[in-house]
Amino acid sequence: MSSHREAPEISKDPVADSTDLYAFVNTDQSDTVTLIANYVPLEEPAGGPNFYEFGDDVLYEIHIDNDQDALAEITYQFRFQTHTRNPDSFLYNTGPITSLSSTNWNRPQFYSVTRVDTSGTTVLASNVPCPPCNIGPRSTPNYQQLAGAAITNLPGGGRVFAGQRAEGFYVDLGSIFDLADLRPFQNLHLIPTPAQPGVNGTQGYNVHSIAIQVPKTHLTSDGSNPTNESDPRSVIGVWTTASRRKATILQSNGDHVESGPFVQVSRLGDPLINEVIIALGDKDRWNGQQPSGDSQFAHYYAHPELAKLLPILYPGVFPHLAAYGKPRADLEAILLTGIPSGIIKGFQNFTGTTQADMLRLNMAIPPSSNPNILGILGGDLAGFPNGRRVFDDIVAVELRAVAGVTISLVDSTFNPDGAASVINDFSPPAIPSGVRYEQQFPYLGVPFGGYESRPHPGA
Amino acid sequence: MAKQTRRGFLKQTSVGVATIGVLSTLPTLAVVSESEAPAVTSAAETELSAAVLSEPMVAHVRDLSTGEISLLLGTREIFFRDPELVVRLLRAAR
Repeated sequence: MSSHREAPEISKDPVADSTDLYAFVNTDQSDTVTLIANYVPLEEPAGGPNFYEFGDDVLYEIHIDNDQDALAEITYQFRFQTHTRNPDSFLYNTGPITSLSSTNWNRPQFYSVTRVDTSGTTVLASNVPCPPCNIGPRSTPNYQQLAGAAITNLPGGGRVFAGQRAEGFYVDLGSIFDLADLRPFQNLHLIPTPAQPGVNGTQGYNVHSIAIQVPKTHLTSDGSNPTNESDPRSVIGVWTTASRRKATILQSNGDHVESGPFVQVSRLGDPLINEVIIALGDKDRWNGQQPSGDSQFAHYYAHPELAKLLPILYPGVFPHLAAYGKPRADLEAILLTGIPSGIIKGFQNFTGTTQADMLRLNMAIPPSSNPNILGILGGDLAGFPNGRRVFDDIVAVELRAVAGVTISLVDSTFNPDGAASVINDFSPPAIPSGVRYEQQFPYLGVPFGGYESRPHPGA
Repeated sequence: MAKQTRRGFLKQTSVGVATIGVLSTLPTLAVVSESEAPAVTSAAETELSAAVLSEPMVAHVRDLSTGEISLLLGTREIFFRDPELVVRLLRAAR
């Protein structure tokens, strides 16, 4: 998955497990940037009675580098606090939850938003309510309205939302992890089966989203409004982290105490990096590192395992990729430093020579009114890897890049295999039916309700 | 008592003790380094005393052979060496 359960240790700690990170400029608020960090992977909507929450003991952060040093000049911190209104009930709700202050909601969760930057630390909002999970029509009627009330304006501009949302990331999980038996290309696989359409493995699941929308002027290094795409000040690097206190002591009464500084246990910038690029032996360590130290992992980008596997798993389909022995300078540029000017006409998202995993957004590129889910590969400069929109098909984009379609950007002697420009896990690349998005903030869709959940029909 | 406290430590802990009241020994210890805050001052010690009353303090013996201890208090981590304390802790753990 994008970064769901991507490393051994964090897969055992769902509330601290970052799953997806988005950074984009949307048409409805083109003077702002929306940052969304998703946590808690693969929420089955009916999973009660203890429905999903953020971790009160987790420090969630979204970091922004705005001066090309791969260090955070701005950090938004989110801390959560959950209350149990009626400890004598086993229920999440004791009646319909018709408002965020409903006393029928037995486990309300609140949070604070703090901005840390070079001028200091500012609490932007505190005691902000999250919406409840979407339980069903009796427990959470009018859910869209209920969750909409949790969108909170921030002082100085911008707004914030934290709570359950529909999973917006789509991927054919079953095929990818079955030896990359990509549907609909099974007939070409080393272990062939008849070709069949792709299956969205995340369909019907929810996640927990932290979404913040801020004016662009709050993110640039000098407070300017970015309008020139070639200006380095127009580009930001974004990543999210989750941290836990260094020591936790479990007590026999079910409680626990914590002590010590926060230790980073999860991070996410570009999608699929720790998932697919970093090897198993380094995944847990990668999660604890800072982007500015990512040169230590550059060899994984230079010689990605998946690029070696594709010609083996699909005999005769990727002969040019199989013969290409040079380090993958294309992947190192796209994913570790950003794309410099002069490679793609009218575009750059270069963040300096420090190799770092960050989601890079050129804020001066206007949002597309007719977006292509393949982003820049599809000719849409407002899409991935220029930041990432909620609907971008990052699996197809990265599969094609790893398969060699981007090598020619940096090496004119290379002729990509024909398959490199068509490989994906759905055919044609398209948002699978049933995936939910919103046209307005927070853009990810209303979460699937527990009562409407129909997991794995036909299984 | 010793068995209960050992169980609560991080996985990498070699020997550890969760306790309150160790603060009174702080002035006699050689503070090696601190992960977040600057070196302890008298004013800070007074502040720490109040903090200790409301939250746990965790000592993690990082290296038995050198007596290096990591002291976790609030969001701070202080490193110091006290081989004699480590010996006493080992005795208590028997």
